[in-house]
Amino acid sequence: MRLRFDDSVEATRQEFREWLAANRPSVEEMAADPAVSTGHAPDWARRWTRAMFDAGWLVPGWPPELGGRGAGPIETFVVLEELAAAHVPRTTNVQGLGIVAPSIVDYGTPEQVRDHALPILRGELTACLGMSEPDAGSDLASLSTRAVLEGDEDTGEWVIDGQKVWTSGANYADFCFLFCRTEPDEPKHRGISILLVPMDAPGITVRPLPEIVHPDEPDLNEVFLDGVRVPAASLVGRRGDGWAMANGSLAHERGMVWVSAVMGLEEALGSLVAGAPAHLAAMGPHERALAVDQIVQIAIDTQAARCLGQRGFAKLARGGSAPEQALMKLYASDCRQRVARIAADVQGADSLELGSVPNDGHQAVDEPRGTWMEQWFHSFANTISAGTSEIQRNIVAERVLGLPRG
Amino acid sequence: MDLEFTDDQLELRDAARQVLAGACPPSLVRSLYEGTGSPEELWKVIRELDWPALGLPEEHGGLGLGFVEVGILVEELGRVAAPSPLLATVTQFAAAVRGSGSSFALGDVASGRRTGTLALADDGRWDPTRPPVRAESEGSGYRLTGRVTHVLDGDTADEVAVVVGTDRGPGVVAVPGSEVVASRQTTVDPTVPLATLEFDGVAVPTERVLLAPGAPGAADAIARIVDEATVAIVLSTVATCRAIFEATVEYAKVRHQFGRPIGSFQAVKHRLADCFLAVERAGALGWFAALTVAEDDPRRPVAVAMAKAAAADCAQLLSRDGLQLHGGIGFTWEYDLHFLLKRAVTGDLLFGGGAFHRSRVAAMLGLADDGEAQ
Ligand SMILES: Cc1cc2nc3c(=O)[nH]c(=O)nc-3n(C[C@H](O)[C@H](O)[C@H](O)COP(=O)(O)OP(=O)(O)OC[C@H]3O[C@@H](n4cnc5c(N)ncnc54)[C@H](O)[C@@H]3O)c2cc1C
Repeated sequence: MRLRFDDSVEATRQEFREWLAANRPSVEEMAADPAVSTGHAPDWARRWTRAMFDAGWLVPGWPPELGGRGAGPIETFVVLEELAAAHVPRTTNVQGLGIVAPSIVDYGTPEQVRDHALPILRGELTACLGMSEPDAGSDLASLSTRAVLEGDEDTGEWVIDGQKVWTSGANYADFCFLFCRTEPDEPKHRGISILLVPMDAPGITVRPLPEIVHPDEPDLNEVFLDGVRVPAASLVGRRGDGWAMANGSLAHERGMVWVSAVMGLEEALGSLVAGAPAHLAAMGPHERALAVDQIVQIAIDTQAARCLGQRGFAKLARGGSAPEQALMKLYASDCRQRVARIAADVQGADSLELGSVPNDGHQAVDEPRGTWMEQWFHSFANTISAGTSEIQRNIVAERVLGLPRG
Repeated sequence: MDLEFTDDQLELRDAARQVLAGACPPSLVRSLYEGTGSPEELWKVIRELDWPALGLPEEHGGLGLGFVEVGILVEELGRVAAPSPLLATVTQFAAAVRGSGSSFALGDVASGRRTGTLALADDGRWDPTRPPVRAESEGSGYRLTGRVTHVLDGDTADEVAVVVGTDRGPGVVAVPGSEVVASRQTTVDPTVPLATLEFDGVAVPTERVLLAPGAPGAADAIARIVDEATVAIVLSTVATCRAIFEATVEYAKVRHQFGRPIGSFQAVKHRLADCFLAVERAGALGWFAALTVAEDDPRRPVAVAMAKAAAADCAQLLSRDGLQLHGGIGFTWEYDLHFLLKRAVTGDLLFGGGAFHRSRVAAMLGLADDGEAQ
């Protein structure tokens, strides 16, 4: 237990910092053309992903041919930390880089890696994640979009019918990592498979769903699939293993997602604390004391989120298990929500105004941005998606604490 | 930042846990509650294991380990609500001596011959900038007057480190326990004995002045001493809360109602998930704060205040939900749970509760009005 990392880790940090300063997209180009959907990669973002890939910084833990450098988890952590500190997004295609590419690398064929994973990693393609359906949200395993194989497993075709919803980035993405029911006679967790589906395939209709804030730049979509045909070789992994793979690749990402979540929280707290004195000065003493206490409480939570993340991470980095990790999504998203609301309260009725903070493109599309009240609404993206906070509590209670299913 | 224990530290923790399972069973704690037992036997075991020496420098007979290792012992003692002079002796008295730049009595502390404590609280408020005891110069020494409350082991400790105020600023002196009029306070938790000390013109010779009032940096040194004592209370309290948490999860698995374990009800599950978060949150902040003490990092004052505030949140939630989720059995004297609940609420308030420490954080973030608590 100690406060500093090894010198070798700090050397990596320094090396990355210098590379970042020389190669990062400029503040101006990001602001001039911000990503408007998680499937959208503006030109600067494509160049940026490619540069990270070529230099082996994109996924530091992977080998060079996959955009890495065989680095350890602590080096990867430091890279993520420096990116966040420099206000440069690691990618605009969060699902593609975070979930789809790693899943294809883990479970896909060499051709799938070549044609789908590598193009994501080189900034050439973007991907979306088609899991949720109108009747399958928290209960994802009950999804009913069907894929039927016509012909044999080598030369046949999958024919897909159904509907997805809340598909982030589907309005811009090149392909979808699509969860379909292929084994209708198996128990629901064992009947799901994953297909790689080009978004321009005939039979696909995408209808954007403007969101609660920033409705002019929708990220969410409904995706209708009507007799969509893809080659048999579009199957990722084995038939019926989709559910197990989903748990594997999401867990993949959990080990590190907290870093950007916590750094986003720290950034929000920083602007709250910096902006607060002007508002506090206008308050009477009692109101001020109450407001200050709110700010202090979220400041404590912010530091706690950082410490909790680092404590769990230290355990994982040593190859152990880290129950803290299961709490991070729940806790960081809750804190991010509260910091925005506290800031809006401190700011007062001025926080009701819309659109006064321009999108400077430095955040991923799924992170809260805009005015404090816009951020507060936006923050529900993270308490709802990828397992709601209630589902997270169920998971903690059942898988970590070992309480019986009810 | 590496917030996980090393293998050696984990080994120390496991060894300590094992020793205390044998040497400090709930029956010992109960005997204190019922006025039939004493912590003497346990103290003997602890001395034989050299725990008082663990964090002290080798030149004073110590084992030369750091504050993290001391914190590990403190956690294990908190886990079983152990009555022991170790906490006050090591994390208060020895911390005061060393933090003052002195080595007074450290050899005796290391060997377990002398116990000690720290006197600072003014009617239950621990503000290092406003010590309740005044020191007037007399010859080359001082004469003390004043009254301190909530001194841990205050009626049994061999040595009392007293934070004193003078016209030239604050200082620290050591007074033999035998020269102070101590009266034991009757509080909820007899495993954390608290006493009020009266200083009625007690003379302090020079050799007992640990930190001369008015010495440069004295106020900072005192703040550091109090921070170290405070973090120890945090670690102890969070460990107690973790024990409550584990007992409650266990109970939720075995207690059946409506034909199923109560832990299968979602209302219970979600409360336990939140309890888990509260414990991990306070634990992570507590260890971060402990590291800032161990490594003398400038983030210490904020880290300690935040950790103590989080420990208070944790103690409030765990004492409430721990009791509530046990139902009637948790409300009884017979069932051992209340030892932990009482230790938790005591730790919540010793060295300042949540509001006090949040007000300190506010001041350090530059958000408090001038003149508020620092
Ligand atoms: C911004 C955003 C982006 C998203 N991106 C994607 C994406 O890219 N791809 C994709 O496939 N999906 C995506 N989703 C969908 C997301 O995963 C689902 O919204 C989420 O799983 C919840 O499902 P639901 O909306 O149907 O809510 P429901 O499951 O209907 O839940 C409604 C309420 O009931 C509660 N509830 C449900 N079940 C339980 C239970 N067992 N115990 C306690 N409470 C329960 C929930 O917590 C919630 O409060 C996204 C969602 C959002 C908001």
